[in-house]
Parts: sequence; C-alpha cells; structure tokens
Amino acid sequence: MNRILVDLKASLKLFFRNRSTLFWTIAFPCILILLFGAIFSYSTARYDLYVQNQDLANGSPTQFSILFIQALNYTNAFNIKQVNASANATQYALDNKLTSLLVIPKGFENQTMVAKLTNGTIKASLALIYDQSSSTGMAVVGIINGVINQFDSAISSKPSYIDTQLQTIAPTRYGYIDFFTPGIMAMSAMTLSIFGAVEVNTRYRENGIMHKVETTPMTRFEWILSKTIFRILMSFFSMAIILGIGILAFNLKVTIDAVSLLLLAACSMLFSGIGMVLSRFVKDADAADSAANAVTFPMMFLSGTFFPLEMMPPFIRSIATVLPLTYVNNGLRDAMIYGQQQSAIYYTAIITVLGVAVLIIGSFITKWEED
Amino acid sequence: MKQNEHAIEVDSLTKKYGNLAAVDNISFTVKKGEIFAFLGPNGAGKTTTVEILECLRKPTGGNAYVLGYDINKDGREIKKHIGVLPQAFNSFDRLTVKETIEYYASMFGAKTDADHLINLVDLNDKKNDLFKNLSGGLKQRLGVAVALVNNPEILFLDEPTAGLDPNARHEVWNVIRGLKEQGKTVFLTTHYMEEAEILADTVIIIHKGKIVATGSPEELIDNHGTRNFLILQKADKNAIPLIEKMGMEAKYDGEKGDIHVTLNHNIGVSEVLHALTLKDIGFGELQLKRSSLEDVFLNLTGEKLDEGVKA
Repeated sequence: MNRILVDLKASLKLFFRNRSTLFWTIAFPCILILLFGAIFSYSTARYDLYVQNQDLANGSPTQFSILFIQALNYTNAFNIKQVNASANATQYALDNKLTSLLVIPKGFENQTMVAKLTNGTIKASLALIYDQSSSTGMAVVGIINGVINQFDSAISSKPSYIDTQLQTIAPTRYGYIDFFTPGIMAMSAMTLSIFGAVEVNTRYRENGIMHKVETTPMTRFEWILSKTIFRILMSFFSMAIILGIGILAFNLKVTIDAVSLLLLAACSMLFSGIGMVLSRFVKDADAADSAANAVTFPMMFLSGTFFPLEMMPPFIRSIATVLPLTYVNNGLRDAMIYGQQQSAIYYTAIITVLGVAVLIIGSFITKWEED
Repeated sequence: MKQNEHAIEVDSLTKKYGNLAAVDNISFTVKKGEIFAFLGPNGAGKTTTVEILECLRKPTGGNAYVLGYDINKDGREIKKHIGVLPQAFNSFDRLTVKETIEYYASMFGAKTDADHLINLVDLNDKKNDLFKNLSGGLKQRLGVAVALVNNPEILFLDEPTAGLDPNARHEVWNVIRGLKEQGKTVFLTTHYMEEAEILADTVIIIHKGKIVATGSPEELIDNHGTRNFLILQKADKNAIPLIEKMGMEAKYDGEKGDIHVTLNHNIGVSEVLHALTLKDIGFGELQLKRSSLEDVFLNLTGEKLDEGVKA
C-alpha cells in the first residue's frame, strides 16, 4: 500500500511540475466550452421538429394552423413530424426523448383573429416543449421565434400577435452551458486517461523508467493501481477546473453527486484500460499516441459530446450506441442535469463493469517481465 | 535457498529467441565481495544474462542462484537483496536527486538515509536539482545511489559508463571501487576493456552468447594476450625491413614518425634493440606497450572488442 501512495505522490509532483501539461489540462476543456458553445449558437443544421396540432375544426386542422406549419416547413430548417392531437404532449416528449415538440393549441386560429381585432392586446399562444440539454432545443426556439415574427408581419404591420409559451423538459434554471459541461468533463477524463496510460506504457518503457521500476519489489498490480488512481484524481481535477471556470464565467448550476463522481472514475478506469491495451499492441510511443488519437477523436464527435446525436444520420446514431463515451455522456447528464438517478446509476453500472473488465485485460497483457 | 560462499552460481544458462541463442549454455560463479566483469561487444549476451539474474527475464534453460535464491522461483526475494543500475539509467525527469532516491527507497520499504547516499556518490551540490537537468555522468552516479537504496549485497551495473566522457567515466569508476571497499559484490557488464582491466577481480569474456575465457585480467593477458608492442619514436625508416626480417610486424606512423613493432613470444625487446644498434639505426625514445584485454579478445575471437567486427 505504501508503494502505491509513494508512486501516486510522485506522479502528482511530476504532473504539477510540468507546466505545459498542467496548462493544457486546464486550458483544453475551457477552450472547448467557449469554442463549441459559440459554434452551436449559430448552427444551421436541419432539426427534427415534432408538431402536435390541436387546432382542429370538425376533426380537420384549421386553415391557419396548416399555414403556420407550412411556414415552418419553408424555413428548410425542420423535418416536421406530426404527433397525434390527443396525446399528452409533455409525456410524449419525455417518453420519446424529443428535443422539441411544438403544440398548436385548440383555438389557435380564433385566438389569432382576436389578437388582430384587439390590436395585440389579447395574444394567441403556441407552446414549445424543448430540451435545453441539447443545442438543438435552443436552435429550434430561435427558428420558431423567427417564423412567428414573419407570420405576425404577414397578418399586420404591427407584430407580436402570437406568443410562444416555452416549456422545457429539464428544469428551467439550467442554461445551455450547463448541459454542455458534462460532455466536456467526460471527454477530458477520456483523453487524460487514455493518453496517460499510453505515456506510461510506451514512453516509460522506451526511456527505461519501467525497466528500473521492474527491478524493485513493486508489483505490476501496485504499479497499475497507482497509475489508475492517479488518472482518476486527474479526471476529478479536470472536473473541478471545468466547474470552477464554468461557475465564474457562466454561472453554472450543475449538480455533482456521488453517482457522477463514480461514473467519471469508471470512465477513467475504462479508458486507462483501453490505453493499456493499445500500447500493448502499438509499442512505439509516437505510434501509440496516434492510435490513442484514432480512438478518442472519432469518439468525441460520435458520442454526443459536441454534436447532438439527433442531428446525425441513422447509421452514425447506431455507431454511437456501441461507443462507451455515449454512455458516459448520457449518464453524466442524467446525474448532473436531469436528476434521473436511476438512469444515471444504470449508465454508471455499464461503464463500471466495462471499465473493470478492460482494466483487468489491460493489466493482464501489460508486460512486466521482458521476453 | 542454498547456503554457500558464492554470491552467484550460474549453471548451463540458456536464453533463446527462436533459433538464436542469445545466451548459450553458460556456467560460472561469482565470489562474494569481488568485482566481477562480464566483458564482450554489444550483442554478446551480457545484458540478457544480467537481466535473467535480476529476474527480469526467464531463461529458456539452465538455472542460476543469486545469494542462494533460485531465479526461477524466488524472483521477489532476489529483488529485495540486489541493487540494479540498468543500462543508460533513466528516471522521472521532474523529481530531484533526493526525491528520486527517496522514491526508490520507498519501493523497497527501506529506511534509507538519502543524504548519506548522495554524499557517497558525491552529488551534494546537486541534491535539489531535477533529474532532467543532470549531465550523463551525474545521472549514472545517481543511478548507482539508487541501486544502493536497499543496502543490497550484490550490485548489478549494466554498462555503467557507456556513453560517458572520460572524466565522468573515472568518477563512476571511483564510486564502484568504493562499493568494493564496503564489501559489496559488484557484477559489472562492459564492452570497455579498460574498465574491466582496471576494476575487475574476475573477468569473463563472452562472445555470441558463449563464454570464451575466464580469469583475473592478469591471468587472461598472460594466457591469451599473445602480443606486446614496442613503439620506436621518431625512428629511422630503415628499421622496418630489419625488424620484418626478424619475423615481426612493423608499421610506420607517417604523422608522428614512429614505428610500431608487434613483438612475438620468441624475440625480446633487447634483441630488437641489439639488432638496431648493430646496424646503427637511430630512434628517439622507445615505449613498451603491454598486451591488453583488447588483444585477448582479438586473439580468442578474431574480432575487435569495440564493435564486435572482424579484425
């Protein structure tokens, strides 16, 4: 046990004394939050928009509601999908994990006429149920507001006859940055762990440090355990930095609980194991770095860290279901934003089992004696 | 565990990689308290042998005992009692000299006086310097200190001065001599004949995985070093045909004006000098160069020790 603590202490010293590593560990996730947050604000992708038209006359949609839906269609921003008028909209959105559902309420046509007659004193209203955790939700709100403004202008030169009642699926006190943050934390834990494992297993072997350590009574188990604990601590450190900057700069409100910490630790274990497996087969340090990049880079983009999965083609969504980072992202968001503990525990269990298994495989195939 | 007076006993040790025998059925013993040198060119099997004894590699055949412990069964126990300076010792770049010693001491669970070891390898001025800022010689000296953290009975020093400049090499030699004075057994691998000749009590010459000679440096030179050299400085060139007529090889060094004579067993220096005097052939000073382990190696293997190439 003492050997593990001594090695852990040495690893921490080495980390904090290496200014360039320290800088990038802090700067990388921060840059990502700022950069990608800005990019998504101006996204022009096509989104799935579910529409529930309750404004029926004799069982058929009113002319005005049809026109409004057509106007939404003309934006070319949406794939419009109809939802049965009798369904409970909020429940439907939750059950089907929708990012946005527009409800055209009963009497919408009449309300708009009244609004015109009263010169906007009494307004018509639409309800938009959306998911703030996804950048899609925020984008949809913006585009619908644009359509409403156009519609208002078409009815009269004086706009604002129609109000949009926003209803979020997640609690309203959260902003987009809160929902983006768990993805960055997961990504940061992934890269720190996989590259850390590759560094120890290839560069330390190339430069002879492993060789020297192997001449001491330290066992392979102690060495791997110490390095894995170190990477988990680094993931927590990175999480703390992201939170600190987020709270100071963006007034973050996400919740850190035991499940999210456990999931992040499991994520770190899993990717440490993957790093160990990679470096067993790709022994050259630089090549192993490239292999780690080849694993992490696509995973960042295909597992919903930056780009919402619903924006992706179906085959990419299928790929995402087999990428472990997808489960980490989902689990962290469930734990930190939605407060869906059961779901978060489910994802944590998956990643923990996977993490322990891969770590055991990685430990088993990591060479301690020479050939 | 066997009890005996030998620090190391090696019996028919073999290590094969496919069809290639890196170590080919070698046997030898190392006495307690001696400096034992494994001398051979790069690729001769020195490091493979030493790493088998350090329990870092498994032999293909044969057995060895280190301090009576079986290398095939008692690896963990052996590691507690030996100190190892690997070839081109490297450590954590951002730990200081003192922290590095303390780190490795903790790996052994040893209560080590780091300052004493720092003093032993004369690194007092550098004890708070980071490893990455040390020169090659200082790193090797730190490596020796690290190898001593568990107060080992045997030290394995694998090419301790490879790549060092002459000054740094002499500094490391002084440290190794000090270890012997402390009663440690030192197992040294080297491809520098001078290192083995100066430091070792016993030398084994290894070539292509096989032992070709064993003994003290003096014994090896006496038994296998067939040639001594006579250098006639600023000599008259007419000496060359005369010496060759006597059955010896003579080469003229045009740059210095020296003649290098390779003596043979049958003809002594006095006979050469007598022949030159009779013919009134002059020269400046003369220098007698003794046969070395280099010549022993050349004589036994037909190759030069430096590179393991054909002479």
